[in-house]
Amino acid sequence: MLTLGTYSLVAALIFSLGAVWFLALGMRTGRKDVLRYGYYAAYGFFLSTLIASAVLLQAFLKKDFSFAYVTENSDATLSVFYRIAGFWAGQQGSFLFWLLLLAATTVIIVALDFERLERLTAGAVMVLAVISAVFAALMVFDTGSNPFLAAEPGMQPFGLNPLLLHPGMVLHPPALFIGYVGVAVPFAYAISTLLLGRGDKLWVQRSQKWTIAGWLFLSLGIGLGAWWAYVVLSFGGYWAWDPVENTSLVPWLTATALLHSFTLYKSRGLFRRWALGLAAATFWFTILATWTTRTGLIQSVHAFGTRSVLVWILTGFLVVTAVTSAGLIAWRWRRFESHDEVQSWLSRDFLYYLTNLLLTLFAVAVAFGTVAVPLLMDRTVGPSTYDSVARPLGVAVLALIAICPLLAWRKTEGAELRKTLILPGVTMLLSGLLWLYLGFQSSVWGFIGLLVCGFAFGAVIQFVLRSARRAAGPGKSLWSGMGRAFTGSRTRTAAYIVHMGMVLIVAGLLGSTVYRQDSSGIVSTKAGSEDATITTDDGRYTLEFVRLRDLPGSQNSTRYYADFRVIGGDSETIGTVEPHTDIYPVSGAAVRAVILGQPFQDIFVVTDEPFDATAETIAVRVVIFPLIRWVWIGSIFLCIGAAVSLWPKRRKQEQEARVTEAAGIGADAARPDGATA
Amino acid sequence: MNRKSRTRLLVATGVIVVVFVIGVVFLVQRQGAYYSQVSDLTSGKYDDKNVKVGGRVLDGTIKRDESGVSFEISDLTGKPDTVFVSYDGQMPNTFEAGVDVVVVGEYASADGVIAADQLQTKCPSKYEGQASPSAQPGQ
Repeated sequence: MLTLGTYSLVAALIFSLGAVWFLALGMRTGRKDVLRYGYYAAYGFFLSTLIASAVLLQAFLKKDFSFAYVTENSDATLSVFYRIAGFWAGQQGSFLFWLLLLAATTVIIVALDFERLERLTAGAVMVLAVISAVFAALMVFDTGSNPFLAAEPGMQPFGLNPLLLHPGMVLHPPALFIGYVGVAVPFAYAISTLLLGRGDKLWVQRSQKWTIAGWLFLSLGIGLGAWWAYVVLSFGGYWAWDPVENTSLVPWLTATALLHSFTLYKSRGLFRRWALGLAAATFWFTILATWTTRTGLIQSVHAFGTRSVLVWILTGFLVVTAVTSAGLIAWRWRRFESHDEVQSWLSRDFLYYLTNLLLTLFAVAVAFGTVAVPLLMDRTVGPSTYDSVARPLGVAVLALIAICPLLAWRKTEGAELRKTLILPGVTMLLSGLLWLYLGFQSSVWGFIGLLVCGFAFGAVIQFVLRSARRAAGPGKSLWSGMGRAFTGSRTRTAAYIVHMGMVLIVAGLLGSTVYRQDSSGIVSTKAGSEDATITTDDGRYTLEFVRLRDLPGSQNSTRYYADFRVIGGDSETIGTVEPHTDIYPVSGAAVRAVILGQPFQDIFVVTDEPFDATAETIAVRVVIFPLIRWVWIGSIFLCIGAAVSLWPKRRKQEQEARVTEAAGIGADAARPDGATA
Repeated sequence: MNRKSRTRLLVATGVIVVVFVIGVVFLVQRQGAYYSQVSDLTSGKYDDKNVKVGGRVLDGTIKRDESGVSFEISDLTGKPDTVFVSYDGQMPNTFEAGVDVVVVGEYASADGVIAADQLQTKCPSKYEGQASPSAQPGQ
C-alpha cells in the first residue's frame, strides 16, 4: 500500500507535467486536439491524486500503523471522525490534501470547458497544473513531505494531539485549504489572460465565483481557527498575531480587495490593473503562508527544523511566481488601462479605491511584520504592534464600508448626502448610550471606534432602505419595495449581509481586546479552606470553589472538573462554571476553558495547569471578554453573505442577464446598486 | 483623460502610503524585540531591551504565586547558561517543565530576569517534520 501511494504521487507529478506540456503546446499552436490531450492529462492527474488520497485514508480508517504518518497522527482508540482528521493533522498529509483539492478544482474547470476548449481556460488549467506539479514534486522529492513512508519497527502510535481533538480544529485546516485553492483560480485566469493579451472581462467572469468561494472558505477557516483558539487553546484570547494566523489573514485581506475590484472591473472597467495585481498577490500570499508554516525559517510557535529540499522548492516557487506575475503585468500594462477614472472625492469610485488601498496596505504591513522584520531586520514584533496598526485601519475600513454605499457613483450632491446621513447619525448616538452603559468610556480610542461601528450599523440599514425605496418606485410605500431590495441583485444582498457582519466583527474585536480584563488567583481544594474564592480585579465577580469531580469523556479520556459558583456584585449567584482537564490514554492531558455567556460579555474561566482528582490547589484565570460573541455572529454573516452571492441564479434570470449583456447594456445592470449615475 | 483628477489621486495615494510606511517603520523600531539566545544575554548588548528568547523550562524551577509564574530556562544551543523568566498572563496549554518555550519581554540586566509579556510553547499541531518521532514517545 505504501508503494502504491508513492507511485500515485509520481504519477500525479508526471500527469501534471504532461498537462502543462500539452496545454502550452496547444496554446501556442491553437490546435484543439492538443489542448484536449492536456485536459486528459489533467484527468489523469486527478485520478492519481485520488488514488494516493484513498490509500492514505484507508490506512487511517483501518488503523494501519505500518504508515509512519498514520502512527504519528492517530491511535487505535480514536473515533472515525478524528481518524479521518488525522489525514490533514500533519504536514505530509496536508500537502496531499491540498493537492487533492487542487486536482478536484482543476477537473471541475476542465469538465466545464471540455467541449468549448477555450484558450483562456486552457491557459488557466495550465497554470493550475504548474502549481500542482510543484506540490507533487515537493512530496516526491522531499522525504519529510511524503505521507507514504514506512514506520520504524516498534514505533508506538502517538495519537492525535489532545488540543486538536475538537471539531473546530478538525474543520479549520480543510476550510483554509479550500480557500487557498479557491483563490488560485483567479490567479490562474489572470496569468492566462496576461499571456494571451486579452484585455476583456472574460477572465473575471470565469473566476469570480471561485474567488467568492475561496473568500468564503478563508473567512470560515480563519473564524474556526479563532474560535478553536478561544475555546480550546485557552491562552485567553482568539488571535495571538502568530505567524501562521497572520499569513492566513493576509490573503483574506487581498481577496476582499480583489472581490471589490472585480465588481467595478466588470461593470465599468475600473481597477483593471488592481484586479490583476490583487489576484497575483492573493495567490502569492497563500504560498507565503505555506512557506512560513512549513520551512520554519520564521521563528514562531510553529517553528520547526529547516529542510533544504522543501526550502528550495518553496522559496524558488515564491520567487518565480512573483517575477512572472510582475513581468507579465508590466508587459501588458497598456492593455489593461482603466476605462474610466475617479473624478470626485465624494464618489463611490473614490471610496472603492481607498478601500482597495487600505486593505492592501493592511495586508502588506502584516506580511512585512511577520516575514520581513524577522528575516531582514533580525527583530520581531508582537501583538501590541499589530494591534496599533490593525485597530485604526480596521475602523477606517469600516467607516468606508459605512459611507461607500450611501454615495453615488462618480459624484454625489451634498444635499442628497446630508439626508442619507440622518439614520446612521441616530444609530451612532444610540450606540454611544450602549457603550456608556457598558462602561467603555475607559478608552477614548476604543470608544471612537465603537461609535464608528454604531454609525456603520445605521448606514447598512440605510443602504437596505434606499434600495427598497428605489425598488418601490415613486408614490409607493417603502415596504412594497422591501422584497425586491433583497431579491433584486445577489451581489447587493450579499453586500448588506457581509457589511453587517463586518460591523459586528469590528465592534466585537474592539470590545473584546480593548476592554478585556484579566484576573487570576489560586484556590485551595481542601474543605473549609479560607482560600476558596477568587474575586476579579474590578470586584464585580467572585468565583467560589465548590468541588472536584470526574466523568468519563470522549475518545476514552477522563474529564476532571473543578466546579465554581460565580457570584455577581450584588452577592447573587449568576451561574456555575466547570473548567476541566481531559486526560487521554495515549496523547496526554489538555486543559479546557469554560465560558459563562452573558448578553454583552463572556466570562472565560480556565485553570493554568492540568489537574486531576488529587489536586490540592488550582490556579484559576478569569477573563472578561466584552462583545466577543459579536465576532462569531459576524463571521457567520460573512459566510452566509458569500453563500448568497454564490447561489445559482434561476434559469430565467440567467437568460435575462445574458440578453442584457449581449445587448451591451450589461454595464448598468451589473452595477451593484442599480443606477445612480 | 482628465489630467488633474489623476494627479490628485496619485498625490493622495502617495501621502497615504508614505504616512503609513513611516508609521509602520517607527512602530517596528520602537517595539520590535531582538532575537537572542539565552547565552547571549550576558553580553551587555541586550541590557534593558526587548528580547525574544527560546529556551527549555528547567525541572523544578516553576514557581507560582498570586503575582504570576516564574521559572528558569536553559540555552537551546547547548551552552550552560540559564535565565529567569517572570510572567503574569495566561499560561499556554502545553506549558510544563521540560518543554521548549519562546518568551518575549524586557531583559532587566540588574536582576538577570526577563519580564515576559508573551509566552509561547511549541505549537500543538505536529507540523514539525524534523523531530524524530521515536525521540518523544507518548507525546
